[in-house]
Amino acid sequence: MDRTQPKGSPRVPAGTMGDGGTTYSGVNPNAVWLNSRGIWLSYVIAVTILHLILLSIPFLNVAQAWTLTNVVHNIGNYIFLHMLKGTPWETNWDQGKSRLLTHWEQIDFGEQFTTTRKFLFLAPVILFILASFYTKYDPLHFVFNLSTMLLVLIPKLPQLHGVRIFGINKY
Amino acid sequence: MAVEDVIVEPWYMMQMVQAFLQAPVYHIVIEVLLIVWIIGLLFSKSYRIQERVQLTEKEKEDLLAEWQPEPLVPDTPEDHPALHPRVVSGKAGLKVVVDGKECLNLATLNFLGMLGNKRIEKAANSALYKYGVGSCGPRGFYGTVDVHLDLEDKLAKFTRTEEAILYAYGFATIASAIPAYSKRGDIVFCDEGACFAIQKGLLASRSKVVYFKHNDMEDLERLLKEQAKDDKKNPKKAAVTRRFVLVEGIYMNYGDIVPLPKLVELKYKYKVRIFIEESLSFGVLGDNGRGVTEHFGVPIEDIDLISANMEMSLASIGGFCCGDSFVIDHQRLSGQGYCFSASLPPMLSVAASEALLIMEEKPGIFEELRTRCKWLHAKLSSIPGLKVCGEPISPIMHLQLAAQSSRTEDTTKLETICNECMNQGVALTVARYLEGEEHLLPPPSIRIAVNVELTEDDINDATSVITNVAKMVL
Repeated sequence: MDRTQPKGSPRVPAGTMGDGGTTYSGVNPNAVWLNSRGIWLSYVIAVTILHLILLSIPFLNVAQAWTLTNVVHNIGNYIFLHMLKGTPWETNWDQGKSRLLTHWEQIDFGEQFTTTRKFLFLAPVILFILASFYTKYDPLHFVFNLSTMLLVLIPKLPQLHGVRIFGINKY
Repeated sequence: MAVEDVIVEPWYMMQMVQAFLQAPVYHIVIEVLLIVWIIGLLFSKSYRIQERVQLTEKEKEDLLAEWQPEPLVPDTPEDHPALHPRVVSGKAGLKVVVDGKECLNLATLNFLGMLGNKRIEKAANSALYKYGVGSCGPRGFYGTVDVHLDLEDKLAKFTRTEEAILYAYGFATIASAIPAYSKRGDIVFCDEGACFAIQKGLLASRSKVVYFKHNDMEDLERLLKEQAKDDKKNPKKAAVTRRFVLVEGIYMNYGDIVPLPKLVELKYKYKVRIFIEESLSFGVLGDNGRGVTEHFGVPIEDIDLISANMEMSLASIGGFCCGDSFVIDHQRLSGQGYCFSASLPPMLSVAASEALLIMEEKPGIFEELRTRCKWLHAKLSSIPGLKVCGEPISPIMHLQLAAQSSRTEDTTKLETICNECMNQGVALTVARYLEGEEHLLPPPSIRIAVNVELTEDDINDATSVITNVAKMVL
């Protein structure tokens, strides 16, 4: 899996930035920062730290901690990838092209099923499987875990690229 | 067994595996489906969502077969004016030496006679010896010299705004300012007769441009009303759309003045922001030369951005924008011409500062300039065969043919008039446009620029020369 040059993005001379793309000038950093070296590992570590914090709370048992990790991760995923639109900085080079796009739609300039997108599909699924195992398949926990996982998986499908249901979050 | 009962008991792997084997069927089914889906996902190829029609191979071949290459450089006629430029030697002050002949200068835009002013030349010379010629760096990378900050300060104080920002090239000033604020999804209401720099700025901004008829405030109001109706239908979209009105103080292509009080009224009624391009009116209109806002008595706080060229009244190079601090500050990172071009040479900044000082010391020259404009306008109106376009107090007037036929014929006649006038000692120029690129091509005309140093005799002589030549040619 060659992560050094996302397909379809402007070509950078070999060796300029070294890694998958922190940024090259004239390009929306939102589209390439998740390809950077070490980001996926950081993501996994962040979720692990969240889980350890939740496990340390004395009145939560293991099952509740796992479900909470799953739910908090999914809600955070939804807010940052599918709710917030545009970029946190001025886009002087593209005159506001990505003003109305969510972060998910900006990743890799709209190309579907790139490796970063596959990773972000995998994360909630793996968390769901782990959470189901550690909650001993309890039905109530199952409801929470499944619903948040669906909440986060469905907006990532290519059929929903650019779709705003009932005009929510359109502008 | 309820999960909550085992709060203090540690969870053994044996218990976990037991739970897995006793898991409900629906849960296992969903997990298996997920795993199958993941495997399918991991093996899927990446693709782009196609937005354009895909052509078949045959269609592509057909298109290639019927393509006829145009020449890289199209044939130009031998008598195209760009192939025979008139060469000026020496300074283009009130008298200019064109192609070896000394003529009265009614062509260059030296309204206040600052070109050739000894005081400005002395200041520029000492700046030249102190700073050198060029600045060799953009403003962000050691190209900011103290004279730039000084000039920005002086301009802000002169125009009575909070802050000013300097650009190194007059055309780039408004063409950078517009895209800094107006982006995709925004709406700009622009006058049809706007100059080419404004048109390029609007193109670069990628916003929706709505042109209203030249200087027609009723047309603008009608368009604003339509926009307000559309906004009511879609309030969420309207909440994120920025609206601007873009006008010029004195229009370069027509010589008339924008009706500013009515425009400000429309601004507050329909909530749009006003940008004024004051290249020709800065240093011309108003009691102290502050431009079209002073001329109409409109408070400068009502205008959101003023952009002006320093290449006309101030006889320097470059341009500036002035307005509120938080508006102008944005251009320090977003103004493409500011960030990515070398800064104004310090010598020219000092020349502009000196010219500004002269303007402050002698506020009488503005009324003198306007008087001369009125004289020239009155005299030129009486020439048979030609009609004058433009306000009497505007320093730019356009002489059009009274009886207009095709564009090429009219242009040839006007060029003949200019050539003849030059032979008789009056330098005139036909207004030139990029004919394929302008949004609204004005009719062919001779563009006359007034200089404050013109005497009444000069005006009378020039008028009689033009009258005779016009009689001869037409």
